[in-house]
Amino acid sequence: MSFQPWTWFARSPREPESKPKEQDGSASSNSENNAPAIPRHLAARSVEQLEDTEGLVGDMLCQGRYALLMRHQIAKTLSVELLQQAREALNDAMSVIPQGEVHMTHRQDKEHDVDLQEGELEHVEALLLDRYPVTNIDYLEFVSVGGYEQMGLWDRDVWPAVVDFVDQTGHPGPRHWSNGSFPVKLCDHPVVGVNWYEAAAYGRWAGKRLPSDAEWVKAAAWPISVSGAIPIQRRFPWGDSFDPTRANIWNTGFKTTVSVQQFTEGVSPGSVYGLVGNVWEWTSTNYGTWDNRRFEMSTPFKSLRGGAFDTYFESQADNHFQSGDVPIARKHNIGFRCAVGLAELSPRLTVNGEHNELATAEEVHVATTIAS
Amino acid sequence: MAAKGVLSMDSYRLAQYSVQVPCYICEEGNSFDAELCRHCHAPLVLAHQAKSAKVAPRMIAALGASGSGKTVYLAMLTDTLSHPRQSLHVVARGAFSITLQQNTVGALQHCRFPEKTPSEPDRWNWIHCQVRQKKKSPPLELIMPDLAGEALAEEIDHPDTFPVIRIFLAKCDGLFIMADAARMSEGSKDQDFFGMKLLSYLSEMKENPKQGWHTKPIAIILSKADECESCFEDPHTFTREHSPGVWHQCEERFTNYKMFATGVAGACAYRHNPRGGRIRVPLRVEPRGIIEPFEWLIHKLT
Repeated sequence: MSFQPWTWFARSPREPESKPKEQDGSASSNSENNAPAIPRHLAARSVEQLEDTEGLVGDMLCQGRYALLMRHQIAKTLSVELLQQAREALNDAMSVIPQGEVHMTHRQDKEHDVDLQEGELEHVEALLLDRYPVTNIDYLEFVSVGGYEQMGLWDRDVWPAVVDFVDQTGHPGPRHWSNGSFPVKLCDHPVVGVNWYEAAAYGRWAGKRLPSDAEWVKAAAWPISVSGAIPIQRRFPWGDSFDPTRANIWNTGFKTTVSVQQFTEGVSPGSVYGLVGNVWEWTSTNYGTWDNRRFEMSTPFKSLRGGAFDTYFESQADNHFQSGDVPIARKHNIGFRCAVGLAELSPRLTVNGEHNELATAEEVHVATTIAS
Repeated sequence: MAAKGVLSMDSYRLAQYSVQVPCYICEEGNSFDAELCRHCHAPLVLAHQAKSAKVAPRMIAALGASGSGKTVYLAMLTDTLSHPRQSLHVVARGAFSITLQQNTVGALQHCRFPEKTPSEPDRWNWIHCQVRQKKKSPPLELIMPDLAGEALAEEIDHPDTFPVIRIFLAKCDGLFIMADAARMSEGSKDQDFFGMKLLSYLSEMKENPKQGWHTKPIAIILSKADECESCFEDPHTFTREHSPGVWHQCEERFTNYKMFATGVAGACAYRHNPRGGRIRVPLRVEPRGIIEPFEWLIHKLT
């Protein structure tokens, strides 16, 4: 396994002393005109360093933003060597989920068997999905570069509320952190206490996005298409019966989150880890999309998948079970992982990808910095 | 041709009928083969089991307004504690003790809440179990009924409407008092008023002045706390701020109480009911704070 959170930690130390340097006018987050924001820790570096493409790319790789480098407009400005580094980082951290059909259904009122007469066949384009949920150390990069102040990363609807997305000590960050950080022993645990908007903002910053419900199920259930029939899908990423040695739910007995590297036996056929158990994962889809029953919610809930360490029933942690919560819920057992469409990445990676418009202010900034 | 058959010995049967079996709850006499006590409707099997046990069963009641989560709490408590991995675990005594657990867990597994407990005492579920602690022995025999909130409200407002409640509470050793934290955080006062009435009712019970409720352990459980996270962080402060009446009564009239926060559903939503109206459904089940009040109560009892 190539993922080494401790290596990441060593390669990207936080620089709290850099914060006052914002005041020298060299750079700061600029939310007023929604202009591209320069991350705070980059602002602390010298102009020479900023202009140094290798330095910038190195920083971005350390921060886990390789997917941003692999976007068309950025990738074409990179040297072969730098692109290769980004590609290796991406291969290490993300897994390819092939395109195909997935059968989406709901199971709440049923026993273990999925009713094949209900649900919908959904086509999923090929994508890359994070092998692991986003960890505390991953998320710390986003927090420490001022991700909560770069309003271009956030849905406009939620701008007034971002100031409330603070930790226990009032610093921007996940609900259960203190002073903008977390206990070192939790560094490779999935980040929790983040709402749907925080997860989406992190995704944009990293050059990724939240997976859709169908994409998540495609990765976990690994459908096998049978001509003219509903695909054969797994109940759990490893097979059809629950095994407490492969996932962290209530019956496993930990009663808390564990490292994302634990439970490696629960890997999916596509080498995605921890899809079931440990933490629920936000997806971009609304709750109830696959459900023909009518729900009455003042705010549409967002879909959650995979169960968590405190999920009581195995049947509520399997690939087909959908739960949901209000998008501003910052709970102790909800985390996320990110995805990126294969077609969104450079043709130098995907061979036949198409050129897309730059999607975020962050991409514009990185592309112009590298080009200059 | 001679016919073979079993001739019942009516004289023995009549002799058994002549000896009354006292109900374990109300101590009134019943015929030996009755299933429920004809006076208080408690299962007579409790009396038969108590007779066979070396120690007299202790009794705990779960009280609270209708819909405050008594049934779900008791069922999840017995279900979580039926795994021997816990430091404290329970073993059901008799199939009837598992019915509540079976019905409730079955409903929750399919993202439904159980049906409301009927007001009629003969339809209540009773749990008789043995509580085993890893470090302590011998095991504790425990009886916990799932009382209906509506019957409880009726008994509080009009004493002796449901004599079984008063009789049972007089013999009880400890209490769970359930209050819906989600409603409290919405600003509703009904939980506070019900709690105040209940505490007032308890403190006025005079059956045994030496062991009145002012010294018996009372676990005040703020249920549905998953819908208001601050409740988990500090249940005492939450009670003081959202249920000042209950807080004041506890301070003034009771000495052995503690507040707890519990949650069973991770999130809830309202679903359109084809029969009309809407029904509240859990979107997932993730119990929190279920065992702590029970552990505290058992510690106090032993």
